[in-house]
Amino acid sequence: MERIVRGRGVAASWYGIARTATIDRAGAWVEIDDGGTAKVVTGVTEIGEGILTVLAQIAAEELGIKPEQVTIGDNDTARAPEAAHAGATRQTYMIGNSVALASRDARTKLDREIADHWNVKPEDIRAFDGEIWAEGSNLRMSMEEAVDICKKRGVVPVGSGSFTAHGTGLDPVDGSGSPWQAYVFGCQVAEVEVDTVTGEVQVLGMWAAHDIGRVINPRGVEGQIEGGIVQGLGQALMEDYRLENGHTTTHGFAKYILPTSLDIPEITSILVEDHDPRSPLGAKGIGEPALVPTAPAILNAIHDATGVRIRSLPATPEKILAALAEKRARDGVREAAE
Amino acid sequence: MPEQVLELTVNGRKQKKIAKPGARLLDFLRDELNLTGAKEGCGAGECGTCSVFVDGKLVKSCLMPAMKADGATIETVEGLANKGELTPLQRAFHKTGASQCGYCIPGMVMAATSALRENPFADREEIKERLGGNICRCTGYQKIFEAVELARDVMNGRLPATAIDVDEKAEKYIGANVRRLDAPSKVSGSLRYAGDMTMPGMLHMQVLRSPHAHAKILSIDTSEAEALEGVECVVTHEDVPGEDGFGVFVHDQPIMARDKVRYVGEAVAAVAAEDLATARKALGLIRVEYEELPAVFDPFEAMKPGAPKIHDYADGNLTKHIPIRKGDVENGFAEADVIIEETYSTQAVEHAYLEPEAGLAYVDHDGVVTVLSPSQNITHHRHMLSKIIAKPINKVRFIMSAVGGGFGGKEDMIYQGMLALAAMKTMRPVRLVFTREESIATTAKRHPFTTRLKVGFKKDGRITAAEMEAVADGGAYGLSTEGVMRKAAILSCGPYDIANVKVDTRGIYTNNTPSGAFRTFGGMQVQFAMESHMDLAAERLGLDPFEIRYLNAMRDGAVTHTQQKLDSVSATRVMEAAEKASNWERGVPNGRGATRSDLGGPGTRKACTLGARLAEQADHRVEEEVA
Repeated sequence: MERIVRGRGVAASWYGIARTATIDRAGAWVEIDDGGTAKVVTGVTEIGEGILTVLAQIAAEELGIKPEQVTIGDNDTARAPEAAHAGATRQTYMIGNSVALASRDARTKLDREIADHWNVKPEDIRAFDGEIWAEGSNLRMSMEEAVDICKKRGVVPVGSGSFTAHGTGLDPVDGSGSPWQAYVFGCQVAEVEVDTVTGEVQVLGMWAAHDIGRVINPRGVEGQIEGGIVQGLGQALMEDYRLENGHTTTHGFAKYILPTSLDIPEITSILVEDHDPRSPLGAKGIGEPALVPTAPAILNAIHDATGVRIRSLPATPEKILAALAEKRARDGVREAAE
Repeated sequence: MPEQVLELTVNGRKQKKIAKPGARLLDFLRDELNLTGAKEGCGAGECGTCSVFVDGKLVKSCLMPAMKADGATIETVEGLANKGELTPLQRAFHKTGASQCGYCIPGMVMAATSALRENPFADREEIKERLGGNICRCTGYQKIFEAVELARDVMNGRLPATAIDVDEKAEKYIGANVRRLDAPSKVSGSLRYAGDMTMPGMLHMQVLRSPHAHAKILSIDTSEAEALEGVECVVTHEDVPGEDGFGVFVHDQPIMARDKVRYVGEAVAAVAAEDLATARKALGLIRVEYEELPAVFDPFEAMKPGAPKIHDYADGNLTKHIPIRKGDVENGFAEADVIIEETYSTQAVEHAYLEPEAGLAYVDHDGVVTVLSPSQNITHHRHMLSKIIAKPINKVRFIMSAVGGGFGGKEDMIYQGMLALAAMKTMRPVRLVFTREESIATTAKRHPFTTRLKVGFKKDGRITAAEMEAVADGGAYGLSTEGVMRKAAILSCGPYDIANVKVDTRGIYTNNTPSGAFRTFGGMQVQFAMESHMDLAAERLGLDPFEIRYLNAMRDGAVTHTQQKLDSVSATRVMEAAEKASNWERGVPNGRGATRSDLGGPGTRKACTLGARLAEQADHRVEEEVA
């Protein structure tokens, strides 16, 4: 065997969106505000994934304004409606849909007033990017004016939304049940290089295809996939929280090894859109699913490159060297027997 | 160590301030100058979140004593651009979506600024090396590299400024690459996380933790600590007025240990004092008498009869068992031509968000107990705390501060209760900031799994039956273990249409650090087993790995392992997309890497070789000299 060997591996995966085996819910309030801006209030948002921007995009699209005109007030149990928690790949699906519903509710109120003002049918009202108009006419004005008119007519255009996902519990005996109403699927290919003298593995390329439902922000989705893959890579190759009789021996980043900029592969994301039919937006999610297939794809690639299969994570240089030595001994015995 | 007056220039302004004894440059900038853009991610120079320039040189300010900066010129992230503006590099981070949680970003911006100052033409390899001392846990670094390259090219004139500042006009906002609205606050260092916040009259909390994995608490004597000047209160389980218990599913963990401790690092008492040094000193004055109990560190040992019992309610230390039964696996295995059985294991993994846990609690003018922290679940935390402190739910308020990375690790209410109790006891604001060591040693980990998997295949690759038995180490408390066992069981055998399935997942209590929620919630551990198994089967049956997956993949109308009928299933679509994008060459996965012709193509990077770039640079230098 050459010292430096390369190989490829694939792994597929699936995942459920939002809370598991239970009814999930999220609420939001929206006000179309002075100046053609908007306030959105919901109970829980950003943990870094970009949900604030996603919600601003959704509200902007539904209200007919620009994302930067949306102010999101959030994250306060005494000031905002319940949106439950930030996890379970539920933010875009649960909170995104509740903001969409609340925005539609507010728009309905605004549209009713503007339609009456113009003497057209409410269903002919359209809005985008800060402009509002009546389809099939030359009636058009800015959102700022529209809000002003609406308020002069005595109406504050506010809306609320609550979105439900209908999961069911599992049967305690056979586990049957419908834990989620939306599922996503993923598949990743890894290309690795293994140094058979040092046992070190470098992941050179990852191709990640994931069903997202409907993509709200492609760059944000890529960011989730890239981050998920690098966490998966860390688990596959280096991260290992160790305990000795209950005492950790990996209590800092000198001992607990994380992937750095030098460890990461080139990552190619392919976004597949299979719209969810059970929700207003059709979006699903990507936060957690992104890292599910990474470790097995890398470990399958290590096998492809070296012929050794590591069954226990992480695949450290020590384990790989031990497995290679074992393989050599086995192959040697076989050759001798032949 | 004495106090010292430091005179230095910070972001272009002269400063003369007293540095506290033993202060590091990072403390001085944050505490005396209120420049909180530099963050403490590890306190050991390993993560780079505290990077600043000292006399033009990139320095990790957690490693530099403040006294050494006397007379120096310091530049922090707040001083890179004119007030209210951003540098081209910061704007490029905004453009490419290079910030996610943002906690590492001020340090990353400093390191990238340094890289481009040192070499305005640095290529990607050099950029990677120069960012090698800065850890990011969210982004996977890719968008950060893009941002640095974009800024480099605009700053060195290869690209016009519009490359950073102008976006494509969107015709629809859903589906567009709208820039992150929170990025400017992250790249400029102006966003404040809980540990960056202060309130007038604020106290500092420190926590006394268990040195034992399993021990009875015979007594806790706090009198000496309480008598120390500067200590406002000490809280223990005795201060809990209501029903003491939290957890995402089962509420088996007290705010602070009562009766016994179940893992090393478990909170036993907490001190709130005028400053950190006093709070730390007071910890040493608390007397806890323990009687050590036999402990168990392996879930298989913990399941055996006679093993130490960790929670009274849990026989066999079983936290949760989830069974799934579909069809008849015995019949399925009888039909199989090949049966493969293997055991796989996965390790405990630390979330390693760059922001260690931090929180600030106070009782407001209306008597509302308010906790501000990077909690991923303020709704549930409010419910639990209202029971624990016996107050109506509208007298308990949780505010979710900016979260510097969560990944599930900030779903557990492991410290907010102590803060609330201290705020109630002192009627003053109280802040607690974990050290990195505390965060690693005491907070939840990804569940380590041992997964035995047996799958039967027909000769053509069709799966006839799958049986999985997974045992997970849940550690000392329940946290999310029940949910993790459920999700692992549901997802167990992957996106495949299998008529006969038998799955059992079991979460077991041990005296290890508790396991909890972590991105995929049990999903990756079991699918690691299944996906490794699929390749083993492909090798045995002479099939390509994609081929065996297509053959078994769920399709529209499939019935899942929990007997849910799905409508649209995208499994084969994503497989086709990955196969095509990677330009995959089909073949049997028998270690054929050496014979592949699809390696090293588009979408791969060059392998790192130590010192290669340095050697290349040396070559350039020679060329230049020759020229």
